[in-house]
Amino acid sequence: MKALILVGGFGTRLRPLTLSVPKPLVDFANKPMILHQIEALKAIGVTEVVLAINYQPEVMLNFLKEFEAKLGIKITCSQETEPLGTAGPLALARDKLVDKSGEPFFVLNSDVISEYPLKEMIAFHKSHGGEASIMVTKVDEPSKYGVVVMDEATGHVDKFVEKPKIFVGNKINAGIYLLNPSVLDRIQLRPTSIEKEVFPKIAADKKLFAMVLPGFWMDIGQPRDYITGLRLYLESLRKKSSTKLATGSHIVGNVLVDETATIGEGCLIGPDVAIGPGCVVEAGVRLSRCTVMRGVRIKKHACISSSIIGWHSTVGQWARVENMTILGEDVHVCDEIYSNGGVVLPHKEIKSSILKPEIVM
Amino acid sequence: MGGSEERVVAVIMVGGPTKGTRFRPLSLNIPKPLFPLAGQPMVHHPISACKRIPNLAQIYLVGFYEEREFALYVSAISNELRVPVRYLREDKPHGSAGGLYNFRDLIMEDNPAHIFLLNCDVCCSFPLPEMLEAHKRYGGIGTLLVIKVSVESASQFGELVADPVTKELLHYTEKPETFVSDLINCGVYVFTPEIFTAIQGVSSQLKDRANLRRVSSFEALQSATRSFPSDFVRLDQDILSPLAGKKQLYTYETRDFWEQIKTPGNVAGTIVLSDSSLSLANETAMKQIGPNVSISANARIGPGARLISCIILDDVEVMENGVVINAIVGWKSSIGKWSRVQAEGAYNAKLGITILGEAVTVEDEVVVVNSIVLPHKTLNVSVQEEIIL
Repeated sequence: MKALILVGGFGTRLRPLTLSVPKPLVDFANKPMILHQIEALKAIGVTEVVLAINYQPEVMLNFLKEFEAKLGIKITCSQETEPLGTAGPLALARDKLVDKSGEPFFVLNSDVISEYPLKEMIAFHKSHGGEASIMVTKVDEPSKYGVVVMDEATGHVDKFVEKPKIFVGNKINAGIYLLNPSVLDRIQLRPTSIEKEVFPKIAADKKLFAMVLPGFWMDIGQPRDYITGLRLYLESLRKKSSTKLATGSHIVGNVLVDETATIGEGCLIGPDVAIGPGCVVEAGVRLSRCTVMRGVRIKKHACISSSIIGWHSTVGQWARVENMTILGEDVHVCDEIYSNGGVVLPHKEIKSSILKPEIVM
Repeated sequence: MGGSEERVVAVIMVGGPTKGTRFRPLSLNIPKPLFPLAGQPMVHHPISACKRIPNLAQIYLVGFYEEREFALYVSAISNELRVPVRYLREDKPHGSAGGLYNFRDLIMEDNPAHIFLLNCDVCCSFPLPEMLEAHKRYGGIGTLLVIKVSVESASQFGELVADPVTKELLHYTEKPETFVSDLINCGVYVFTPEIFTAIQGVSSQLKDRANLRRVSSFEALQSATRSFPSDFVRLDQDILSPLAGKKQLYTYETRDFWEQIKTPGNVAGTIVLSDSSLSLANETAMKQIGPNVSISANARIGPGARLISCIILDDVEVMENGVVINAIVGWKSSIGKWSRVQAEGAYNAKLGITILGEAVTVEDEVVVVNSIVLPHKTLNVSVQEEIIL
């Protein structure tokens, strides 16, 4: 079985992290974002994953070689020379997605994390016999997104309404699709929107069905949602009684600590924290609701909350970092500095406090 | 005089990706030394100035950018100017003096009697042959190019005091808080090979001090400023300052122009009309360009567009009736119809000029004021006083 992951472009909303690596390779819960999806696909028997990209293919391809071998799944790239929107890339990758078997293929959006109930989705798709299945998820504020208006009983999709002004429903497109190869006949090789042009036609033919996604869902394409997403992800690990979560008297709530990271005496870590490979957390450090990426050093007595600390950065002694501070790669916050929402580009040294949210170039 | 034995080598410090962050967002796509200044990469100007030095054997560019970033440029410029130019990559930053010392064996290969050291981001008349003559007359181990500036701006630089008769460097201090002098260091130096001995002396002193630091825990608590590794030697603070007043260092004053390009604002402040690459073959009477506009090759300026005090880089499209004032528009960007990209033009303020990074699209009728936009963004709503990541 095959799958396409829409990787897209520059990931500008996740800057400054995406100034160092392409977005799918930004770590989430100690793993490159795209690896979560590839592993979920491998688990249900997908044998080939096509990445639809239009930026930095060399970096992606290098990464892929490493994981192809480790995971035992074939990974290829389909590179757009001009942006093709959300449907065009499927047409571009056509030859890689269809084979004689006529099996349906998955399409995933690389910004999304969820529980990936792909096996249930295959069963759902077979049972309704339609042309396309999409996952939808319930949200509190549907008008921030595109709402999928559907018949709750049959699962038939009626229509899509972009950012509705009045309440038309609370289910939005979760960015996970299972499509029959015949869908590709409906897509031309030009910039096309799957929600605006392709799905409405399939819905009109009464061949588009929606399944409500069980479990959590988050679009982690921007820092605030990334942090919320980590909380949801760790919560779901807890529900499954995962042994991956850290334990100990210094741990509060759900915390992920890479086995190569070290934590000093007298720390209090958690809730909702991920500490990446090779990190050094010195004594007396408080971490909550934050992600600490590979190779970071947090010096003694520092306090970090609701922030993302980029690869190989350091946070000085007694520093306080909070309120959506995002440190890019190789950023060094000096001792005793306070950062209130600083967004710092790579290779910077912070020698004076950032008292209100500010971008440091 | 300079007999044929008195060979000269020039070293141009180009820095690396962790240096020159003030030049962002333009330096996100291209190393700052290669950014076009008056129609040529910034580093071209000191390189061609070096060509005028008699008996020049070699030019070295020293920095810690990846080699491939400079490979093409270095071979092209060597051919064009018929002078050997080589890029030497430091494995990590060693400071301006440390970098020079790091490659001393290579530099001394040609047995030069004199070594020029220049910063790549200095923009001036580069009176290098005259400076060399003065240096030989003084007989010291080094001569600095200096210039008088306004009292207000002097504190941004290294201030120095020189003997008005002997021109000896008497005192040097970097970015002082109180007024020391209106004579500043231009970032252009010429040394005799004895400079390496001086650097080595300082380097071992720093190593000893570093060892002591490890022993004393009180020192460890004193982390008011960043502690450099012992092989990081800064030319100005670590070498020149201590040697001032010891009849070793001298000064040569220039009265021509001088600018240091630290921010895109500095570039905008020194722009000139780039006549060589200007191609306005399709200009109509309605296009109004200038004053102080630099337009790169392959830029397309639509009818009715108005450009004032701006730099338009390669492959930019300014559509009909677009207005650009006090801005730098990055490569491949697009300025929509009736859109307006402008700034106050305060070249030293953080958001004093508007800068669009590579491939930024400003949609029709959108206004961008006093802002910085990172590469690959599309602006479909107007913005003011913002940094757009």
